[in-house]
Amino acid sequence: MNATTAKKYICVNCGYIYDPELGDPMNNIPPGTAFESLPKEWVCPICYAMQDMFDPLS
Amino acid sequence: MKPSVASLYQAVELKQDVGPLLVGERTNANGSKKFRDRLLENDYQACLAIGQEQEASGAHVLDLCAAYAGRDELADMLELVRLFSSSIKIPLMIDSTTPACIGECLKIYPGRAIVNSINLEDGGVNIRKVCPMLKTYGAAVVALTINARGMAMTADDKVATAREIYDIAVGEFGLRPQDLMFDALTFTIGAGDETLRDAAVQTLNAIKRIKAEMPGVMTILGVSNISFGLAPHSRKVLNSVFLHEAVQAGLDAAIIDAGKVLPLSKISPEDLELSLDLLYDRVKDPLKSPLMRFIEHYQAHVPETAADEAATRARRPEQIMFDLIVDGDKDGFEDTLSILLQRRSALAIINDILVPAMRHVGELFGRGDILLPFVLKSAEVMKLSVTYLEPHMEKVEAAHVTKILLATVQGDVHDIGKNLVDIILSNNGYKVYNIGIKMPAETIIEKARELKVDLVGLSGLLVKSAIVMKESMPLYQEAGLGVPILLGGAALTPKFVAQECVPGYNHPVVYCSDAFAGLKAVRDFEAGTLKTTTWDLQVQGEKLKPGLKNIEVVRTHPVPQPPFLGSRVVTDIDPTPLFSYINEQALFRGRWGYRRAKQTAEAYDQLIANEVRPLYAEFKRRAIQDGLVRPQAAYGYFRCHSEGDVLHVQDGDATHLFPFPRQAEPPHLCITDFFRTPAEGGDIVAFFVVTIGPEIDKATHALYDANKYHDYLMLHGFSVELTDAFAEYWHQVMRRELGIGGAEPENLTGFVNQAYQGSRYGFGYPACPDLDAHKAVFAMLKPERIGVTLTDGMEMVPEQTTSAIVAHHPQAKYFAV
Repeated sequence: MNATTAKKYICVNCGYIYDPELGDPMNNIPPGTAFESLPKEWVCPICYAMQDMFDPLS
Repeated sequence: MKPSVASLYQAVELKQDVGPLLVGERTNANGSKKFRDRLLENDYQACLAIGQEQEASGAHVLDLCAAYAGRDELADMLELVRLFSSSIKIPLMIDSTTPACIGECLKIYPGRAIVNSINLEDGGVNIRKVCPMLKTYGAAVVALTINARGMAMTADDKVATAREIYDIAVGEFGLRPQDLMFDALTFTIGAGDETLRDAAVQTLNAIKRIKAEMPGVMTILGVSNISFGLAPHSRKVLNSVFLHEAVQAGLDAAIIDAGKVLPLSKISPEDLELSLDLLYDRVKDPLKSPLMRFIEHYQAHVPETAADEAATRARRPEQIMFDLIVDGDKDGFEDTLSILLQRRSALAIINDILVPAMRHVGELFGRGDILLPFVLKSAEVMKLSVTYLEPHMEKVEAAHVTKILLATVQGDVHDIGKNLVDIILSNNGYKVYNIGIKMPAETIIEKARELKVDLVGLSGLLVKSAIVMKESMPLYQEAGLGVPILLGGAALTPKFVAQECVPGYNHPVVYCSDAFAGLKAVRDFEAGTLKTTTWDLQVQGEKLKPGLKNIEVVRTHPVPQPPFLGSRVVTDIDPTPLFSYINEQALFRGRWGYRRAKQTAEAYDQLIANEVRPLYAEFKRRAIQDGLVRPQAAYGYFRCHSEGDVLHVQDGDATHLFPFPRQAEPPHLCITDFFRTPAEGGDIVAFFVVTIGPEIDKATHALYDANKYHDYLMLHGFSVELTDAFAEYWHQVMRRELGIGGAEPENLTGFVNQAYQGSRYGFGYPACPDLDAHKAVFAMLKPERIGVTLTDGMEMVPEQTTSAIVAHHPQAKYFAV
């Protein structure tokens, strides 16, 4: 995993942080999946916000 | 102790480490037209805002003067002192020459004020009335070197007058030297009056001698008087140099607009030299006085620091106005518009300058180049400009504008989304009829006909509102509404609109994800290209199915012991601890719209540090000090058991039934799964209703009514997140009471991810969308006791209230049905 794929993203609606190292196993997203590579149907597992509601974390 | 003055909130040393002490001068009815106009309109809040600007621009103390012919000075001052002392953190300078007014103000000021001012003009009458008050209330005082002959002009006369005042104040009345702030007065050297050529020298010498001859006293000066009559850009330079010289001479405090002081390092050596020559009357050219050289220089040159202002003057007013809107800058918009009105009609200004500027703002937002808060600032300037232009417009001019009706649907009280659409549409030149919240379809149809609107926009936050929209489509169809319907709201998706709403109505039905999508839809309508929302499964894909297909809920863990059965209210909750539960990321990025978007991480951090955090701190301060937030809770613990998808809750003799929906797909969860059946021995369930009170809602709506769009969005977002924080906090209190608070999250991410035992489910949210459950919750908790009531649509009022059912089961976490 390189620097860009390791970038975390935060849901601006609820504050959930998507960490590519962890993925989202509850929703079939294996660890190591970059945010940019998530299937477009993937939504925030906490509040169901869509991906355009995610902001890159600094 | 060092001589200081104080407000309710802080003490300020009169002798600043890096001098001088700056006294803000814009809250003075004689010195500021803006302040005077607001005062004449009795708009004290606007007066306060000017004071807050001064505070923000770096003033250490605020001069407050309401003396103006035709006004009741005492009444105005009492009102303003009350308002300012609770909202302004820096100490006040009570500026009045009426002893009675000074006394009344000192009486109510909750700190150590400075009085401005005393003098010997009347031979010593008033000073002897004021000094006892200063003694009683422990105030400091500005003493002007004015005697029976008038304002002292020479250093000798200034010092002698100061000595006379000193003898009365200290000798007769026992004030301390440090209570006196001598103003040695200065006169302009910019008007060419030969007798005033050494005015600066006389003042500087007087300051030196007063400090030397009366140890311990303070000095103060209205610095900008020195440059009356000179060009503005040169005044700024001369004032700054004079201030520097005066501080060198021993000046402790300056009455000056803090934002207009240049550091010496920003002044070129040549500019500095010219100012010093003028101040000290150094004649270097036998044919030209220092003043002539100074004036000629600034006629030919504009100092570098004034380059921006000069550039502003060089731009065409059309461009200036455009930029003011795009930058969300209110500074000088009235002047610019009045110039434009000499060249164009009001309607032409709106159509050719203002509307294109807002359109540009929308494009910048759409590209992610600017953020929502800045869009709202632009809209505020737009609104002010249009209001300014309205009296200049002929009624006929406004005939052919697209008209939109906006409403929040029946049963829903949320209006922030609808109001944002109103702000964006109306400030893009459209006629918006915002008819309010909880609007039945019948009323919407009636109003739409009566107002002959071109489009209808419906909004709603609740899950239920999406259903209401779907169900009302046939009503609009039957009634022959005949215009496109735009739909927006948190619970809507384009798929829902396309599959559930579109089929019920024969005209375009369009999903709008935000206010700008609404704007685009209206423009598409005008262009004849508005299209009904469609949903193509192949292209769009389906929502992800949960990865874990089977979750076996095991109900063998111990049932906790509740601290009591039945309900209680807690009304004295300190708001301070709630702030640490605020989800700052959700607040800043989500509610407020300060997203990183295209910015670099560094630029974003800067934005957060310089703009967002100070705003957040200000809201927290107001929440506590202005009493905007009053947290209260109604909560309780009850015996219960589950039977299928229904939870039976026992409250004394009464049994309340809570039916919950079950997931249609694996793992087929339902809230009742987390509670034991009668056969398993029954269980314990908890409920709460928490509110931060109605005040913040009132303050929020007052901002909307005043067209303060930016602050409106900010305060509303803050109130919503604070309410959520309170729920988070109270849930934790209840976990501790249940004895299951052993594994608590260490940080906010832990709270987001529910890294604690159990869960809380808010009524109206995915796992329990049915608001009707509130009927039973209210029967049990009686939240009327904390001022919370239900609407016909089962929503809680005030808006800043939230409710939940609390499950203690370790496997209970959020899920959606």
